[in-house]
Amino acid sequence: MLTENQNLSLNHKPGHVKHDGHNMTGFIIFLCSESIIFFAFFVGYSVLKISAPVWYPAGINGIDIKMPLINTVILVSSSFVIYFAEKYLHKKNLWGFRIIWFITMIMGSYFVYGQYVEWSELTFSLQSGAFGGMFYLLTGFHGLHVITGILLMGLMLFRSFIPDNYKGGEMGVESVSLFWHFVDVIWIILFGLIYLWQ
Amino acid sequence: MTTKIKRLKKKKFSNTFIIIFAVVLNIVISLLMGHWSYSWLPIQASEAAHYVDNLFAFETSIGTFIFLGCTGTMAWILVFNRAPKYDESNGEPLEGNLKLEIIWTIVPLILVLAISTYSTRVNYKLENLGSKIKYDFGAEVPFVEEKKVFDYGPIDVISRQWNWEFVYPNGIRSSELHLPINKRSNFRLITEDVIHSFYVPAFRLKQDIIPGSVITYSLTPTKEGVFRLRDAMFSGAYFSQNQTNVIVESENVFNKWIKETVKKEPQNGLNPAGRLYEKRLKNGNRGWATVKPAPDPKVNEVGSEVRTHDS
Amino acid sequence: MTIVNYDPRLVKTKNPYPKGPNDWKRFFSFNTDAKVIGIQYIVTALFFLLIGGLLGMLIRGELITPPSDLFDPTVYNGLYTMHGTIMLFLFLFPILSGLTNLLVPPMIGAPDMAFPKLNALAFWLVPVFSIILLLSFFVPGGPASSGWWSYPPISIQNPLGKVLNGEMLWIIAISLSGISSIIGAVNFVTTIIRMRAPGMGFFKMPIFIWTVLAAQLLQLLGLPALTGGAIMLFFDLTFGTSFFRVEGGGDPVLFQHFFWFYSHPAVYVMVLPVFGIFSELFPVYSRKPLFGYKFVAVASFGITILSLVVWVHHMFYTGTPMWMRNLFMFTTMLIAVPTGVKVFAWIATLWGGNIRLSTPMLFCLGGLFNFIFGGITGVMLATVPVDIHVGNTYFVVAHFHYIIFNTIAFGIFAAIYHWFPKFTGKMFYEGLGKVHFALTFIGATLNWLPLHWAGLLGMPRRVASYDPEFAIWNVLASIGAFILGVASIPFILNMVSSWVRGKSAPPNPWKAIGLEWLLPSPPPHENFEEDIPTVLNEPYCYGLDKPFVEDEQFYIEKSLKKI
Repeated sequence: MLTENQNLSLNHKPGHVKHDGHNMTGFIIFLCSESIIFFAFFVGYSVLKISAPVWYPAGINGIDIKMPLINTVILVSSSFVIYFAEKYLHKKNLWGFRIIWFITMIMGSYFVYGQYVEWSELTFSLQSGAFGGMFYLLTGFHGLHVITGILLMGLMLFRSFIPDNYKGGEMGVESVSLFWHFVDVIWIILFGLIYLWQ
Repeated sequence: MTTKIKRLKKKKFSNTFIIIFAVVLNIVISLLMGHWSYSWLPIQASEAAHYVDNLFAFETSIGTFIFLGCTGTMAWILVFNRAPKYDESNGEPLEGNLKLEIIWTIVPLILVLAISTYSTRVNYKLENLGSKIKYDFGAEVPFVEEKKVFDYGPIDVISRQWNWEFVYPNGIRSSELHLPINKRSNFRLITEDVIHSFYVPAFRLKQDIIPGSVITYSLTPTKEGVFRLRDAMFSGAYFSQNQTNVIVESENVFNKWIKETVKKEPQNGLNPAGRLYEKRLKNGNRGWATVKPAPDPKVNEVGSEVRTHDS
Repeated sequence: MTIVNYDPRLVKTKNPYPKGPNDWKRFFSFNTDAKVIGIQYIVTALFFLLIGGLLGMLIRGELITPPSDLFDPTVYNGLYTMHGTIMLFLFLFPILSGLTNLLVPPMIGAPDMAFPKLNALAFWLVPVFSIILLLSFFVPGGPASSGWWSYPPISIQNPLGKVLNGEMLWIIAISLSGISSIIGAVNFVTTIIRMRAPGMGFFKMPIFIWTVLAAQLLQLLGLPALTGGAIMLFFDLTFGTSFFRVEGGGDPVLFQHFFWFYSHPAVYVMVLPVFGIFSELFPVYSRKPLFGYKFVAVASFGITILSLVVWVHHMFYTGTPMWMRNLFMFTTMLIAVPTGVKVFAWIATLWGGNIRLSTPMLFCLGGLFNFIFGGITGVMLATVPVDIHVGNTYFVVAHFHYIIFNTIAFGIFAAIYHWFPKFTGKMFYEGLGKVHFALTFIGATLNWLPLHWAGLLGMPRRVASYDPEFAIWNVLASIGAFILGVASIPFILNMVSSWVRGKSAPPNPWKAIGLEWLLPSPPPHENFEEDIPTVLNEPYCYGLDKPFVEDEQFYIEKSLKKI
């Protein structure tokens, strides 16, 4: 790129702004925004619970905490497990990554299964007053995120078999792992709101 | 450039004069506007009206001063700083002025503080709103004891899609709201369906009525006359018909009205929306969907649909 | 700064869009070029301005006489609901996204947005939810008719009891619009943070970029709250839950909090870029640097932060306790401070300038004039006692139209005229532009100024009929509305005929300073392509003799295609 105009001497070297590599930035911004939907639901739950003249539907005094507690422990520990999976990937130990990553997926799936069992044993429904709606909305919306997380992990697992997949960085795995931590933190708040604060 | 500065210095004296003249003129116009602003508002018919109008006049004056100050400067610039045709040279390259920036941050801040202190004080003086108690909607409306002082009441204000009904302490029901003058009347605001709003422009007061809550509210009318009570929160198809009258009377007339109304048999009260809906059904029910209007309320005092109002 | 040196791999990749830049078909395809997407947004939005304007004129037609005689009141309610919804979600948000798409990459020297495919997806959601919204006119029972606030319980009454109803389509359309806006916001913020030209630190960004960043961050923080509220409203309407339904212990006021937590900041999402446009245009047409650039820039973020804590001022009379009313009155009024900083800075920018009254400048001046007025009535509305009287009356309607049309739409028109030559490569007709301005200004003033008095006298908003004492103000307003309708004719004529057969535009017709003006008109697909300029000074150095970028002359000659 030389100029025909001989009087112009250029001080600068031509440069180019990179097109890609912003996925992580974009994803973090998206997660921050997504967390506000949950925040809105949490605020809604708290406001309704504090101000409602009658909170639990007729015939219900509270919800069982045992099974959800086991679920919580599994989901929270899966957040540590996924961390080790990421570590293995950093060390280029692909099989170690795949196995531990898969264990995380199983733990997530168990959580969804536990949620399903809990839902099927409940005696109130979505239409059972403000509490019923809030309960299913919060756990359901969170459950959707867990399922999305598991599907994304499956995709990452599949992609790990593509040769040279990690040549351009581990952005995908890092993002999914971040998403999993996010889902986890949301669950801890949710658990506190619904199960501990009765 | 230097000649320009010299010229500027010569002009400096006359400039100061012009600025002082403009500011004084602006202050005079602003005060006049504040004075004039009272005439834009309806009759003052409650103790709140006086406070609200004074606050509004105060804000109109300040607002006019700022508006004329800014737009006057803009007009001045447009008249004297226009570029001649084909002149594409630059203006004076002023990049900023820290002193000015600080002034026009601090001055509005002080103004805003002043206005909000003023209106906070007005708020505490009026204190129309009592308590808001949630209850199990569908069950009977609970009795809420008003902790604030009042002279008369509580009158139940029942709002519906789309009519109003007023129930007095002795049990009489009316389609229009009769109030004794200079007495602090207390209300329990109740809705049977959606959100409505109790709004009397002449009183300068408005309070939403929330389903599932009882809201207590007090006000003192200070002028005899007939004033419009308008639903101010959109409530569906015949929202604009959801209006009635407030009739403020001297204590004697009011007591007489109570005594006479007790004797009247309950009959169908005002329900213009119901009439319009019947007309719509007769014309083939055209138009978009709406819920059915509530049936005519059974009231002792029917009131009048054609009463002329003072504001 | 993620700048890499000359990377042949990146430059030698073939233009991924095989069709030439002048192929009109690209405007109807899933194109990922931000400049194409920008124009797609703007044209779509202007089409909906016409539809929304038509609905507005129907409303004014009904209100020209006191009784409800033109339509059944149910139809009137549907029309005004759709008028508000179309104007906000189908006109204002898309057109601002369009301007942002057009301007952000060239202004910061980026080749495109950070996520071009997501960008195209965000645009193509617009026709999807627009069609859903317009289809709601044809479902049994008519479209949503509970106002653009869609407050429950009125919005979940569902008179016909059918699952498919106007309100349901309305909520779906609004949620899709929210998704589109969030995708856009993630894209804009990432682009601005990561893709600026070398040397362009935050305090060398054009003010428009500052305001876009502030507005889009606000979008990211606020919009999810509305989405949450919309999901719950949808469940209440369709699945019989009781979040806002009082019969099951829900709370209708909760929705109002969700709604206004976003929808008040939404006004700032719309007005901030317009502040940016004012800040860009005043220096150009008065040939002076922007007065107090840094203050104006930082004030944008002052507005962003404050606007997140003002929403309760829409609920002063819903039974909000006294302390809360006083608190939110104060925070609301505080917004006047950063806004004042901007207004005074613009006036100081004009002061002593060499003013050129071209069409964009006229729209800017008109917009600023109206904004000062609307800002003052805004402070009046923020004071609790006054708001308790005029809230939910035509005073509010007049106030927000002064902001939303007389300021925001004026700014948008200014921007369209100002950057028209840059992105179409054609000059517009100045005469028609001035006619457009004159008609718009007269029509808008006549439409909304008188309504302030109707509101002060106590005429509630959203009424299909009213007491005869308000007639005079409404007649004036209706005449104004029809003049505004006429004003669209010179605009459409100007845009279409200029684009088709206007004079070719030089790269920098207004002699403006800014990266976009160093590009040819229209700019090539990847803007500066492999040769991004290095920014040396803040923008707006009119008359300061400071070079804006390194080798400025090189870029100027390049844009003239001499190189």
